Amino acid sequence: MTAMTKVKGLATAASFAATLLVGGVTYASAKEVTLTMAVPDWPPTRIMKKFFDEQYKPKSGNTVKLDVDFIPWPDFYTRVNASLTSGEKKYNFIVSDSQWLGAFVEGGYFRKINDLIDADPELKATMESMHPAVLNAYSTYPNSTPNYYGFPQFPDVLVTYGRKDVLCNDDEQAAFKAKYNEKLPCTGEEIDAMDWNTFEHVGEFFQRKKGDKLAGQVLDDDFYGIAYQAGKGYDFSTSSVHTFVWEHGGGIWDETKAPTGHAEGVVNSPKSIEGMEHFLKLLKYMPPVVKTGTMDIFVSDQLFREGKVAMNIDWIGLGEASLDPKTSKVADKLVFGLAPGLRGPDGKVNRTSQIGGQPFVLTTWTTPEQIKEAVGFVKWWLSPDIQHQFAAAGGQSAIKSVYSDPKYVTYRPWDRAWANSLDWQKDMWHVPQFFELLTQQQDQYDLAITGKQDAKTTLDNIAKFQEDLLKNDGLIQ
Amino acid sequence: MTAVSSTLPTPRLTAVVAHNWKLAIAVAVVVSAISMAGLPAAVSFWVVGAAAALVAAAFTVNAYRRHYFGALLVAPAIAVLFVMNIFPLLWSLGLSFFAYQANQQTIRFVGLGNYVRILTNDLAAHATWGALINTAMFVVFTVSAQMIVGFLLAILFSKQFPLRKYLLILVLTPMMLSVVASGVFFTYYYDPTFGILSYVINSISGNQFILMSNKVGAVAGIVFADAWMWSPFVMLLVLAGLVSVPKYLYEAAAIDRISSWRQFWMITFPYIRGLLMLALLFRTIEAFKLADLVILLTKGGNDTLTISYHLIRIANEQNKTSEGAAISYLMLFMVIVLTNLYLYLANRRTQGA
Repeated sequence: MTAMTKVKGLATAASFAATLLVGGVTYASAKEVTLTMAVPDWPPTRIMKKFFDEQYKPKSGNTVKLDVDFIPWPDFYTRVNASLTSGEKKYNFIVSDSQWLGAFVEGGYFRKINDLIDADPELKATMESMHPAVLNAYSTYPNSTPNYYGFPQFPDVLVTYGRKDVLCNDDEQAAFKAKYNEKLPCTGEEIDAMDWNTFEHVGEFFQRKKGDKLAGQVLDDDFYGIAYQAGKGYDFSTSSVHTFVWEHGGGIWDETKAPTGHAEGVVNSPKSIEGMEHFLKLLKYMPPVVKTGTMDIFVSDQLFREGKVAMNIDWIGLGEASLDPKTSKVADKLVFGLAPGLRGPDGKVNRTSQIGGQPFVLTTWTTPEQIKEAVGFVKWWLSPDIQHQFAAAGGQSAIKSVYSDPKYVTYRPWDRAWANSLDWQKDMWHVPQFFELLTQQQDQYDLAITGKQDAKTTLDNIAKFQEDLLKNDGLIQ
Repeated sequence: MTAVSSTLPTPRLTAVVAHNWKLAIAVAVVVSAISMAGLPAAVSFWVVGAAAALVAAAFTVNAYRRHYFGALLVAPAIAVLFVMNIFPLLWSLGLSFFAYQANQQTIRFVGLGNYVRILTNDLAAHATWGALINTAMFVVFTVSAQMIVGFLLAILFSKQFPLRKYLLILVLTPMMLSVVASGVFFTYYYDPTFGILSYVINSISGNQFILMSNKVGAVAGIVFADAWMWSPFVMLLVLAGLVSVPKYLYEAAAIDRISSWRQFWMITFPYIRGLLMLALLFRTIEAFKLADLVILLTKGGNDTLTISYHLIRIANEQNKTSEGAAISYLMLFMVIVLTNLYLYLANRRTQGA
């Protein structure tokens, strides 16, 4: 199979060389530059393409075409990975999950953009106006060093999706108050102030059987309080567990401390175990599909849209579907707030969360002429006017002047949670070994989530594996 | 043919004539070696390609001048087979002896290191053996389920009854659906909240039923989905055998008052045995490669990781190309052994009969 890819790569390299020869001639005469881009197929990228076709006029006077390959999400990594490693050199721009940076930078595919930023004061100002958490997560390799690779395409965070009709019902409010002696969060502000304990209470409180009453109505199906991604695929349980581990003061292997930092003793520290146990405790209040280990962001989103849960924590990127009455039974009952945090003994809520969203990245084979146009395109994309339009159409912006504009929160109901969430976003590893780290970790988390082993064994196994792998690769001494 | 070809004398090695393929090979080897040593990879690739074309041209001219028209006619097919099949196969075999990752630019010879790693290393071997055992389990369960169901369906459809034609089309449909469509369908079918299976069992037992929450349930779910898709295939083959049995044999048997059980073993079975064996062979090889349904239904959770899915994760997701190649060859070896075992058994039975 692998050799097949190689041969295919050589064949495509041949056809690519031919296109270059022919294409080169066209560039010279017509001054037409094509930028080819690989993106996942979903609203944030569709909107970008639409804006480009409708509005973009390059300052250079050239004709710039944006040739976009829309690839379905489940295939996206495989396709991008195959394109890059086969040497086909097809794309100039690639929307990349931030974790992929290391693997593809080390492979020599992603182009460092420090020189472009330094050469262009306007671009430099734009990059500096970006929220530092987003910049570090989407741009830097090694993680959090001033080596830049990406521009934000669609930044994303986890927020709480709630159902107003259930949460704000007077009977439910009174019963909740009587049972837990606290107010059931109903408004966006109350959800913002919610900690994991309240979230757990919401989960326990709203577990209803078929035939029980919910907000005065008899249920024709079981109902559940909370949902939060805990699936075995891709990074679906990692995103949740990391959040809990960080908030409890534990940690994941910290690549910024390489090579003296360790995985053993950090990944499986008592505080990390405490964090993971806290997450596992919440699972029993979630819909039963969580016990199969397949409750990912799409499944929990669907359960929420079908009206089976009171609260769901999910990415903003999936929000549009819940607003649309065609795809959502709860479209007119929505309330959004921050993702919960951990309340410390001092009463303050400690929040840290796994960041979502994607940057787009330039590839190393992009020609100087294409780079000139690419920089023009990026500056246009990150300009306040376009970023406002993007947010108004359902996107998000990490540019400070845009998201702090009072207009911003009026675009979509979740936008009120956006700017406040940015400060406490963190990212997982950017090292080339990320997929190995991720796969093994997901396998182990899955065993814990489906009740086959406890948190300590799980984190011990992960720590042992990471220590071994990273030692072999020289990232741990 | 030989008489014709002898009219063209074999040229001396150094003679520059178009059909001197020995000289062409010698030149190609020397030129390739020099270009690979001295030129950058991107250039030497084309030089080696041109050298290969030179040798091919010399062979063609040689065959043409000697009137080897049979060979000339077959040559394109063999060339395609070599380029698309044999070359990649050998290339990946070669890769399995190196430490190579598709997303990194380094390569290092490690001999049997990859094989040793996937079979004995603490962590890697554990995953390999686990996946192999699961695969064996799936092969046994899915293939036997398909053979039994397919066989029974074939017996049913070999009889005439009303609406037979339409039912037959209906039964064949699952086989023609895309695996992804079936997988998604079964995901919903088994889903504890939206699925009909849990709905029915919940309303009978009163407890929440979750099929995919343990290994037994997850395996049963995958086996059922696979059997649903592929039993029609077995049925189709067996049905072909059943239809081909001459009617007069049954008539003769009826005159001799032979029991229907004996009729089946003495008349029907010998006709369908070859096709049953073929169905068994096809399905076993396919079941050995099971990955799609596992990815769609469990993502390998509940200890359902198969060797194919394991290979996809190693070679495609983690880019450990050469380790993936080693696993592929381990799989290939097992499939070849299994296939030959089958053929041996099938042949022995035939000779014994």
